Parts: sequence; structure tokens; C-alpha cells
Amino acid sequence: MKKITIDPITRIEGHLRIDVEVDQGQVQKAWASSTMWRGIEKILVGRDPREAWLFTQRFCGVCTTVHALASVRAVEDALDLEIPLNAQYIRNLILIAHALHDHIVHFYQLSALDWVDVTQVLSADPKKASSIAESLSEWPGNSAKEMAAVKARVKGLVDSGQLGPFAHGYWGHPAMKLPPEVNLIAVAHYLQALEYQRYANQVVAMLGGKTPHIQNVAVGGVANAINVASEATLNVDRLYAMKSLLDKTIDFVQNVYVPDVCTVAGFYPDWFGYGAGVTNYLSVPDLPLDTKSTQYELPGGFIPNGDVTKYVPITSQKDATWRKAVTEDSAHAWYQGSGPLHPWKGETEPNFTDWQADGKYSWVKAPRYNGQPAQVGPLANVLAGYAAGNPLMKKWTDAALEKISTIAGVKATIPMLHSTLGRHGARAVRTAVLSELAKKHWQLLTDNVLKGDTAIYNKPSFPKGEISGVGFHEAPRGTLSHWVVIDNGVIKNYQAVVPTTWNASPRDEKGVSGPYEAALLRNPIADPEHPLEVLRTIHSFDPCMACAVHTFDPAGNHIARVKVL
Amino acid sequence: MRTAVYGIGNILLGDDGVGPAVVRHLSSLPLPPNIVLEDLGTPSLDLPSYLAGFDRVIFIDAVALDAPPGTIRVFSRSEILAAPTGIRVSPHEPTLADALHVLDFAGTAPREVVLVGVVPSTLDGGVALSREVEGAVGRAAGVVVELVRSAA
Repeated sequence: MKKITIDPITRIEGHLRIDVEVDQGQVQKAWASSTMWRGIEKILVGRDPREAWLFTQRFCGVCTTVHALASVRAVEDALDLEIPLNAQYIRNLILIAHALHDHIVHFYQLSALDWVDVTQVLSADPKKASSIAESLSEWPGNSAKEMAAVKARVKGLVDSGQLGPFAHGYWGHPAMKLPPEVNLIAVAHYLQALEYQRYANQVVAMLGGKTPHIQNVAVGGVANAINVASEATLNVDRLYAMKSLLDKTIDFVQNVYVPDVCTVAGFYPDWFGYGAGVTNYLSVPDLPLDTKSTQYELPGGFIPNGDVTKYVPITSQKDATWRKAVTEDSAHAWYQGSGPLHPWKGETEPNFTDWQADGKYSWVKAPRYNGQPAQVGPLANVLAGYAAGNPLMKKWTDAALEKISTIAGVKATIPMLHSTLGRHGARAVRTAVLSELAKKHWQLLTDNVLKGDTAIYNKPSFPKGEISGVGFHEAPRGTLSHWVVIDNGVIKNYQAVVPTTWNASPRDEKGVSGPYEAALLRNPIADPEHPLEVLRTIHSFDPCMACAVHTFDPAGNHIARVKVL
Repeated sequence: MRTAVYGIGNILLGDDGVGPAVVRHLSSLPLPPNIVLEDLGTPSLDLPSYLAGFDRVIFIDAVALDAPPGTIRVFSRSEILAAPTGIRVSPHEPTLADALHVLDFAGTAPREVVLVGVVPSTLDGGVALSREVEGAVGRAAGVVVELVRSAA
């Protein structure tokens, strides 16, 4: 029987594993599983809730800040603790800068190469590439000279016989469709993105003290001393230095990233027809505007069956439906018990059985919202914003759809967003919205500081007895929630329901698949030994883990095993 | 010469936290000025951001080798690039080799890269190092100090 191992499995053990059964050029069955037991939450039991964020920000190397902030929000929620306005604005700016950084990195470093054929750059005409790029935006980095230099750089790499960072790509794959010049533009911007993603990260470092692992967070606020006249604190000079970094990032997002996504989408319109999967969407409101976290800049809520007219907003962390609706089910996950449990009652006791297609097969639990699977991520957030009539979400969604329509020669519409390409488009829309909000929240912070408000922290005090809280955050990969139970000032239970858990969810007790599994069904596969199309759909979710893809035929014969970064 | 010393690894996964532990140890030692010393955790795709602009970078991380826990081995830049699949740098991908490939292509990679690897005993959830690896922290820090001085 044909069995091909494309990449040594040793590199990818302990990560995400995707098994797909391929027949007649399509995925017929799919399983998403995580192969590593982490049990990190158990480390938190018995600890001081004020220190939980120091541990949670080590959950994941990519998303350190998001776990720090969800954690302090959870403890503040349990205490009903208000935090000063400056603290909200500073946290909001950190979250925005982190998201800008993360979305740029995701597209250029992680997923663009699913659509861009680097080797095709060699037959591109730099002058033509430059004029195409200049017709799409007013970015100064699109000159013919720049394009020629990038082409020479790619030629040098190919001539060396080592494809370096591109060695794992599926070059010359039949599913690659971009003209050579568009491939060249994309590689030029891939290189520029390396520089611009750093600027957003520097903003996180300026406010957070350092990156990774910010140090300025506290239950009750932030630790950024504010004094407009002092060198050592957050002052006017630092605010303006931050603004200059934000301005550069905003320019890149609006003039490079958004046009690039629309251009790639315009050349692959058939990918608006694949990868919808679970079309229940969950997102939460974020960027609080008041000290009690009752008003939010961006809306969030639940959309059933892709029907935006049925959108039900989640009003805040105190929303009664939200607080009840989230459960996790272990029927197909390697934990004891099976029935759905609310996170405050959640358990993390392992029960490993080996990989069983019809039994337990993942370390990821199956989160459900009112008993249903839900897709999370920028698409869920953008659809909620669109349904709620958020002006920025509408403006950027409509602009992106119009740009894609022009390039594709087909009218791009909202229903087409329920797809693999829709997730990329929505991520670009959300990044553009956040780039505008970066300016707004910088101004809110600056105005408040110049008004003379220097408050940054309200001291928490823990009551006797048991309290519980939830902190949510609409993170780059989607809805993140931390659920904490505190007894006499000590953590009694702690559960983090992370975005990739929603999307990489295994089947639940009713046998209903999660978003990855559902999105892969009927995905086309031109060449089962090189399942580029599986990568496209999985990458469009922006998984927070590296993952392995295994393909096999209906008889269970192994076809390929590939690495997905 | 701009030098950075980075500890890599997850402090919540037992001996995977050896890189950060060596950085903590180094922070109490007298190092030449202008050396950037940082616990990077598991930076994954962000790694290129922390490498660009340095002439020399020294990493400390847990590595899977057929050797007793606590064994220290130093890998050169070419070893890192030549055998990326043999060295499991951290539970997070992409690896150090991937980051170097990206920056080599961009023309901004550090010239000198050294990995001080420590063989772990356990990578199970927990914030403590095993006895063998705890005992290697001071020695690994000593190796880093020698490397820093040798080219300073």
C-alpha cells in the first residue's frame, strides 16, 4: 500500500493533528485532535488570584498578552471590581497593537504561502508588478526597483538550491493560480511585513514594559505610572513615540495587507465556495469604554446558522445568557467523564485511550454554546459587527467586498464570507477596523491623561467564601474566556476556553463535529500526496498550534503525512 | 557587536522551562554591558522579530538528545540550520532554524547564532525543574558567560 511520510513526525508531535479521509478528489471525513496533554490549568489551583495572569500568559507563546488580560478580567469580574479609565485605555491599546501585529504575521508568515507560488516570481516582470501594485494602493514600497530587487533575492535563493524559508511550500501545485507578478508583489510585501510587524510589537513593549510577557497588568488596573512631566513614567513624549509606531503600522495595514488579501481573494473566487463548516458564530464585545466594562467599542454575540438577522448580542461579561451558555464536553476527548460541564465546574482529569476514530481522539475538549458548536475568530467578529450595524465594520467590509468584486469580476457578497477565503477577508477587515481604533484609543488615553487623570489602579480585596467570575476577550484567533472560582481568596478552579478549542473541537456527545472538521468536508484535494487545500482551510482559521495533517483513503490506507506551520 | 542572550521554553511544562531558568540565573551575574538578556518563552512565529538587528544571538533551550537529563551541548549556527529536524527546540513551532531561514532570505539574520541545549528529564505540566536539570542551570549559565566573553 502507498504510504508516504513527507516530514518527520518528530517535529510536530504534541501539536494539532488533522486526519482526513480522501475519496474522489474530496475530503469525506475529518478529525481534528490535539496530541499533547497540557493540564496547565491545574497549576493554578491553590494560588493567589492576583498572580494567575503571570502563569496564564505562559499558556501560549504567541498569545501571551491575551491570556494575561483575560485572567485579570476574570478575577475583577468575580470581585465586581471597577478599574480606572486609564487602565482600560492602556489595556485596549495593548490589545489592539497585539492584534495588529498578530494578524499581519498570520497572513504573511503563516498563510500567504498557501496561495502564493514563490518559484513563479522568477518569471515575473518587475515593472508590470510595480504598476499592478501601484494601481491597488499608494504604498511607497511598490516601485519597479523594489520589485526587481526582490526578484533578484528570490533568484539567489533558488540558484542556491536551498529554498530556505520556502522549502516546505507546494511549488508548482496545480491549485496555485496567481499570475507571476502578483506572486512577486506578495513576496515583496512578505519581506516588508517582517519590518512592520515589529512596530506594532514595540507598542506592546512600550506599554507592557516588555514583550513577550507584559509586566504592567494587575488585578484592579495597570502598573503604568502616569505623570506627564516625568521622564520615568508614561508621559507626553512616550505617547507621541507610540503614536508614530502606530501610524506606520496603520499605513501598512490599510495600504498593503488589506489590498493584498483582496487581490489574492480576487484570483481564487472558487475558494468562497469551500470551507464554511460550522456557521454558528460566536464573538464577544471588546475594548471597554467605561470603568465598569458595560459599554464596548466593538460588539459581539451569537449568530445561528450563518443568519445575521438572527444575531443575539452579548452585552457584557455580566450577560446572563453568556454566563450560562458555555459548556465543555469530553465525550471524544481524553478526559474523565463525558457530559457537558460549565467551565466553573470544569474538570481536567486525563483519561488517555489512544486515537479512536469513533471514540476518544483529542486532548481538546468540545466547547458548546447553548449545546451547539460555534466558529470563533475574525469572521465571527466581523459578522457580529455587521449585524449590529457597527459603522467601521460595515465600512471596511463593504470596501473589501467591492475591491474583491473588481478584481474577481464576480460580485462578492456577505454570504460568500462563510468560507475559507471569507475568514481571510474578515481578518483583513477586522485589522483595518482595529487600525482605525488604534488612533481613537490613543487619543482617548492622551486626552484623559492631559485632563489630569492619573488613576491607574483600584486595590482588590477578597471576601470570605466562594465567588466566581469570567473574563472574556475577543482575541486575534477569536473568543477567549477565562473562568475562575475563588474560595477565601484562593483559586479553587480555573478553566481557559481558548479560541482554538472552539475551532479545533472534536465531535461532542451527539457526534456533532467542530468547525475545523466540518470545514474540511468536501474540500477539494487535487493531489492527496500534497494536500495543499487542507492547509488552506486549516490556516484560514489561524490555529494557535502547529499541526500535522494525515491523509488516508476510505480503506484506511495511509497516503501522506505533512507538516503545517 | 550587538549580542542577545535568549532563554526559550515554557515555564509551565517542567524542564522545558530550563531556558528561562538559565536567563534568571544569568540576570544575577556580571555580564558585559549592552547585552540583551531576555526570557522569550515560546515565541514561535515572533522569533524573527527578536533576532533581526543583532550580530550574535545565544539561545538556551531544552533539546531532545540521546543523553542523560542535564547534559549540556552547544550547537553551532550551521548545525542548527543543517539538522533542524533533529533538534526539538521547543514545543512551539516554527523552530529556530525556520526563523533563521526567514531572516537569511531577508538579509537581516545575525551572523553568529549558538544554541546551548540542555537535555530535559520531564516535559509534563508543572512549574518546577527536575533535580537533574536544576543542577545543570548554573553550568549552562557558565557556558553562556564563556561564550559571551570569548567574542566580546
